[in-house]
Amino acid sequence: MNQSSLARIHNRSLMLVVEDSNEDFEAFQRYARRSPLRIPIYRCVDGDHALSFLYRTGRYVDPKQAPRPNLILLDLNLPGTDGREVLQKVKRDENLKTIPVVILTTSSNPKDIEACYRWGANSYMVKPMDSDRLKHGVQSLINYWFNTTLLPTDN
Amino acid sequence: MDLSTCDREPIHIPGLIQPHGALLVLQEPGLIIVQVSGNTLEILGHRPKELLRQPLSILLAPQQIAAIQQCLSEDTENVNPLDIAISYRGSLLMFDGNIHRQDALVLLELEPQDQKQRNDYSELHQGVKSTITKIQKSSSLLKMCELVVKEVKKITGFDRIMVYQFDADGAGEVIAEERTEGLTPYLGLRYPASDIPVQAKQLYTLNWLRLIPDSSYTPVALVPERNPVDEEPTDLSFALLRSVSPLHLEYLNNMGVAASMSISLIQDQKLWGLIACHHSRPRHVPSNLRIMCEFIGQVMSLDLSKRVDNQDLSYKLSMKSLQSKLVESLSQSKQIIKGSIQLDESLLELVSATGAIFCTADHSIGVGQTPPASEWPALRDWIKTQMQDNMFQSRSLSRLYPAATSFKAVASGVLALEISQFHQDFVIWFRPEVIETVTWAGNPHKPVEVASNGIVTLSPRKSFQQWKETLQGCALPWKPCELKVVAELRSLIVSKILKQAADLANVNLELERSNIELDSFAYVASHDLKEPLRGIHNYSNFLIEDYAEVLDTAGVDKLATLVRLTQRMEDLINSLLHYSQLGRIELSRQPTDLAELVEQTIEVLRISQPQSSIDFRMSGSMPMVDCDRTQISEVLTNLLTNAIKYNDKAEKWVEIGCAQSGNGDSDGLSGCTFFVRDNGIGIPPQHLERVFQIFKRLHTQDQYGGGTGAGLTIVRKIVHQHGGKIWVESSFGEGSTFFFTLASGEQS
Repeated sequence: MNQSSLARIHNRSLMLVVEDSNEDFEAFQRYARRSPLRIPIYRCVDGDHALSFLYRTGRYVDPKQAPRPNLILLDLNLPGTDGREVLQKVKRDENLKTIPVVILTTSSNPKDIEACYRWGANSYMVKPMDSDRLKHGVQSLINYWFNTTLLPTDN
Repeated sequence: MDLSTCDREPIHIPGLIQPHGALLVLQEPGLIIVQVSGNTLEILGHRPKELLRQPLSILLAPQQIAAIQQCLSEDTENVNPLDIAISYRGSLLMFDGNIHRQDALVLLELEPQDQKQRNDYSELHQGVKSTITKIQKSSSLLKMCELVVKEVKKITGFDRIMVYQFDADGAGEVIAEERTEGLTPYLGLRYPASDIPVQAKQLYTLNWLRLIPDSSYTPVALVPERNPVDEEPTDLSFALLRSVSPLHLEYLNNMGVAASMSISLIQDQKLWGLIACHHSRPRHVPSNLRIMCEFIGQVMSLDLSKRVDNQDLSYKLSMKSLQSKLVESLSQSKQIIKGSIQLDESLLELVSATGAIFCTADHSIGVGQTPPASEWPALRDWIKTQMQDNMFQSRSLSRLYPAATSFKAVASGVLALEISQFHQDFVIWFRPEVIETVTWAGNPHKPVEVASNGIVTLSPRKSFQQWKETLQGCALPWKPCELKVVAELRSLIVSKILKQAADLANVNLELERSNIELDSFAYVASHDLKEPLRGIHNYSNFLIEDYAEVLDTAGVDKLATLVRLTQRMEDLINSLLHYSQLGRIELSRQPTDLAELVEQTIEVLRISQPQSSIDFRMSGSMPMVDCDRTQISEVLTNLLTNAIKYNDKAEKWVEIGCAQSGNGDSDGLSGCTFFVRDNGIGIPPQHLERVFQIFKRLHTQDQYGGGTGAGLTIVRKIVHQHGGKIWVESSFGEGSTFFFTLASGEQS
């Protein structure tokens, strides 16, 4: 695979970040933007919006406004429908289940970790309290999912 | 050997009656005479052969037959006696007729009426009414008995009237007596149980009254011997004229009694006693007087239950209050054994005991005067085999349990209650020996006669001289009300324990709920606290990254401090979360080689702190321990890290070991005390306990590498969860030693 084909795939790739905290989202975005891959980021502030986005309902009926993401970055503790429910819905949905879901949360509770993998989460990351580790984490996350691995192509 | 052979004599089918009346055995329908007593000629003026196989109408007029038929269709007890007239050679013979059914037969007993008896009937009726009023007004059981014997003597004119009461063993005692002057008093005399055989007692229970007008009578046989209806001897259980055992007659003769009457006293369907009437000459009691005596007996019987219950009324009231007090304490056997609940005199007062022991499966404690403690286990084990309905009682333990002879002075009476079969909790009460003198009517142990030819025969005791016996190894008997209060005690305790179990289950449910709440609180709190904290942290960093060139060095330093503080805050939150989760995680115990675990821990420390050169020393051998491997590893890591951290010596060493006998604390169940010793900075004595407090630090953050101050708190919690203890000894400036035990599940 040469450089131009990579760029073509990347041009079409995008990720959905489900995150209620503006500060956490800004910190994520700050380091994500520094990635050379320039993956477009869509954000939903809670679980209900995320589900509307994925199922294109409500304000997201226009497919252009809610393109299918290639990766979902999901916080667990969200206002309204929380991340655990979103995860289970996605992973039970024949159409959506092929989208990798990475959990990015404050919780290091072993019960959460176990449960999320059981429900089909593809990775579990704890939000670090250290800027360098956060920077490193975000960069390696993007690099891994959009460069190292191959994702299923959209239908 | 006693008169127990009497117990086998079939006294209900003697085939004989007393001669003062005649018996006709009739077959229904038609009332055909099938069997008669041999004295019909003397009594009725007809020979037996003239009567047999004839209808009753050969004797009685049709309206009398009709009356009898009427009686048979009703409850015969209420209609007897009937006035019966039989014409004989032109004159009319008057009889008291008593009729009852027996199996398929009808028995008609005819006793000639006394010409006078009818006349004073109404006077006697008045008399009996006043007697009954007096009985009901009498103030105590004894007063009632004394009154009754007086009244019965007045009615019957007998020489001697006694109230005879049976004890639990069946022996009788004369508790009230009225006698004609000059007679030897029998009051207070006792008669062994064998004096009245079992089946005689049975007949006393069935019939209210028996009369023997002349104990020297010649019995009259029934003709034919067996009734032709079922070819069996006719059952005379309910016949007034039934002939009594020759042994009984000999017994009466020995006492010089020529006429005897007895009225049953029945409490709760059991024979409680008798009103016994003796007369030195033959004496017939007409049926109307007998009915009055019977009536007095019935009234007295009805009153008995009330009297016996009232007898101990005040005692019972005090029992009740003691009972409820004891229920509280006895429901908590563990607390009793631990001594946090004292058994006091109230346990003894409950049943008027002088000593008691309380036993659980492996502990016993005593109060008052008890057998020596060394005797308790064997006694308890023996009593266990004797339990009936969770209780056992005896007033003479040494007779049943010979080992008790050595302590009969304090424990002749014993009353045991099994509170819980499952926990094997017992209360055993004791009463001392009371040397008691019992006055027997004759020697109760010598009812046997040896005939001159050497053949042993049984007959009633010839001599009725007083025979005094000293009862040894006996305590005062346990009263029925005492047994009852103890039986109730058990059910009260059981329901109390059940309630406690239910309460405990509720508390557990509450605790579980609040644990879940705490869990989610700690979780939510840590999440919610961390989020803004992370914001502060990140934005401080953004400031440094984006604006470093417009800030001076002091400004950048302050932002760096801000970043460092957010990290420390996060450490504290994490420690708190970790600590709160420790208590709720089930220990996953497994046999663990502690030596291997220590070595692994040291290895990890060496890798993570390569710059520090520490001399780790293992002293002695480490056992296998049943523990939660992960958690004990955390204990070791924390203790070893501290040992390294708080050490300013040039040559640092840490010694890890296990002392087989407890060091400083010997009550640990394990026998193994583990220790981690260092040559570090030590702890000032006033701070020894403080080191275990959460977030309590003895040094500032910039000394000894900082830390949250939760490490030892977590260590202590883990040790406690393993049922162990942890403590520290230290000399300030020279080093500290942390000791801990892991109480249970040790496998050496």
